[in-house]
Amino acid sequence: MSDKATLNSTDSNQVAQQGAAAPSSLQTRDLSLFYGSNQALFDVNLDIPRNKATAFIGPSGCGKSTLLRCFNRMNDLIDDVSITGEILLDTQNIHADSVDVSQLRRKVGMVFQRPNPFPKSIYENVAYGMRLQGGSSKSIMDERVEWALRSAALWDEVKDRLKESALGLSGGQQQRLVIARSIAIQPSVLLLDEPASALDPISTLKIEELIHQLKNDYTIVIVTHNMQQAARVSDYTAFMYLGKLVEFSETDNVFTNPKEKQTEDYITGRYG
Amino acid sequence: MNRHISEQYDTELAEIKARLMEMGGLVEQQLERGARALINHDVELAESMSSTENQINKLEVDLDEQCVQVIARRQPTAGDLRTLICVMRAITDLERIGDEAHRIARMARGMAREELPEDQYGAFRELNTMVARQLASALDAFARLDEKLANEVIQGDEVIDNQYRNIISSLKISMADNPNHINRSMNVIWAARALERIGDHAKNLGEYVMYRVKGEDVRHGGSS
Repeated sequence: MSDKATLNSTDSNQVAQQGAAAPSSLQTRDLSLFYGSNQALFDVNLDIPRNKATAFIGPSGCGKSTLLRCFNRMNDLIDDVSITGEILLDTQNIHADSVDVSQLRRKVGMVFQRPNPFPKSIYENVAYGMRLQGGSSKSIMDERVEWALRSAALWDEVKDRLKESALGLSGGQQQRLVIARSIAIQPSVLLLDEPASALDPISTLKIEELIHQLKNDYTIVIVTHNMQQAARVSDYTAFMYLGKLVEFSETDNVFTNPKEKQTEDYITGRYG
Repeated sequence: MNRHISEQYDTELAEIKARLMEMGGLVEQQLERGARALINHDVELAESMSSTENQINKLEVDLDEQCVQVIARRQPTAGDLRTLICVMRAITDLERIGDEAHRIARMARGMAREELPEDQYGAFRELNTMVARQLASALDAFARLDEKLANEVIQGDEVIDNQYRNIISSLKISMADNPNHINRSMNVIWAARALERIGDHAKNLGEYVMYRVKGEDVRHGGSS
């Protein structure tokens, strides 16, 4: 059952590795995931290039969010989940006994569909992660907060009201604030789970522009239902179907000349 | 190819393809008339071609607009995107073939008062037959997305170019031998030149089919 997925994903790994200027940041090796006895991922082999944006697309229930959540072990929080195979972050197995999950999540930040600012000031939202780590002086903290807000393209809009509640920001601003909070602790990977699906078109474009900027410094992995968004923001696209990686290639190829019929049917809106 | 979930999308694409074929049919008809008008010195036939040319021009504008609308509304991808890109390119070539066919017909007017030796028409007829066959094959390849046939059209252009060069060479000799023939020989040269260009446009159509089917740009030998 998994032969085809393994074959395809192995082929696509070669495509990705040939096409990627940077080495892989995240890798999966024969990754399968089960919710109880229900298998949600089938032998996924994927090399996600460093400092590029990679999009996961596919119909609801195809496993793209499940796969995304594997990368910072968010699935550990769900009862009855079991995983086989390996996930490597910078060649280190993230399930190794020596790995501290909170350290892993510091390296692999995550932004969700709905913005989730803490009920604190704008400043404190961004400073929160650094305070948990401790040891930063006020001036270093100020610098880092400004840097993170500038990186998230939010500084100019909030610099005069840093002490005000983050809950007073618009949805689009809140999402950029959450991204600022994630990057303030300088992760290497940023996981974005439908980050713009609750936002209006203008806010969506701002998030997309932000992704474009951020990928210079971070490895971005984005799950999106919006295929045009995947086409606009990502360098690589993975198409998943029924828990299998069907195709993984440069986004330019996937949206103009996909190799697999299932991919073509999905992105052109046909019955599969 | 499976149907789209949106039936309306299927309808829109099917209509575009049908109208492209309609345009292709009109262009073939113009080519046949243009060559016949020239060979028979039929000025009336040449003048009757204007209304079809107007139809072709209108189809070009309408199809262009239809493609733009689908791109704007549907944001097509993959095969659908390539289909629309190919149609938008193909209509430009078809419209130009129509212009060239009309140009050939216009030569009929200039030659109506002149005699032309049968042997010169022979070579011209032969070139016309080859070009008409190329155009028909290119349109068939487009309709059936036939990669093999498209490739034959692309390869076949060289034969047309050779035949064109032969005509030019023989007319040069004819003009040198008999300066009284210069005027009509020049007309035949222009008409042959138009046929050669139609051959180039048919080759372009073949290249678009290759792009549609394989997703590869084979223009200029594929050196992108």
